[in-house]
Amino acid sequence: MNLLLAGIGAMIGASLRYGITNYGKKHWEKFKQKYNNLPFPTLFINLSGAFLLGLIFGIGSNVFFYALVGTGVMGGYTTFSTLNTELLALYRDKNYRALLWYMLTSYLGGLILVYVGFWIGSLY
Amino acid sequence: MSNKIKNYLSVAFFAFFGGAFRAALNTNYGFYGTFWGNIIGCFLLAFLTYFFIEFKDFYEWLTVGLGTGFIGAFTTFSTFTLDTLKQLQAGQTINALIYFFTSIVFGFLFAELGSKIGTKLGKTIIGME
Repeated sequence: MNLLLAGIGAMIGASLRYGITNYGKKHWEKFKQKYNNLPFPTLFINLSGAFLLGLIFGIGSNVFFYALVGTGVMGGYTTFSTLNTELLALYRDKNYRALLWYMLTSYLGGLILVYVGFWIGSLY
Repeated sequence: MSNKIKNYLSVAFFAFFGGAFRAALNTNYGFYGTFWGNIIGCFLLAFLTYFFIEFKDFYEWLTVGLGTGFIGAFTTFSTFTLDTLKQLQAGQTINALIYFFTSIVFGFLFAELGSKIGTKLGKTIIGME
């Protein structure tokens, strides 16, 4: 049952991610060039997803809701593989400045935001 | 059907399997399941991305479905950060740091390995045609 819910949630999460990435490619191009080609769509997706998953976990929910929205939607929305493939592309371009910034903002920012989300969630 | 709709449907379809597969790993192996899922996913996405660079006109719906849909949903960033937080809150600071940093280093190294093999295999197949 949980696997089915996670799968259904992931369909929603991945579609959202694909939509935001496409939107970002169209409308955030100037912004991206200004900041050393930092991949903003994935950064936004991963940071907002970390915050929201922390929030859901902090509020505390039943197993089924967590499987659908936590594991499914948030898990499918955020991505670890795209982050690393983009890091690799920056490395290949010898764009070390953006590489370092992307790593720092993703990993450190993700850890801070999941905690902030958890903290806010546990207030309720 | 327009290409755009076709791509979205493909992403959602493949994401179902990626998400369910990840949930199965997580149910059976906990943190380790998510960890290895993420690492293997990095290898696979870089492999596919660099493999398909060699085939410029390959079906877009299929590459997007497999890459963005299946592998994108199979790997997860949010659970990775939450797993680290859970270990920190349980007082397992060393385990949390090992989990956090090996994910970062292995993710990058396996992506690098996947891209090398992907390019090589792509060029080999093109060379045979």
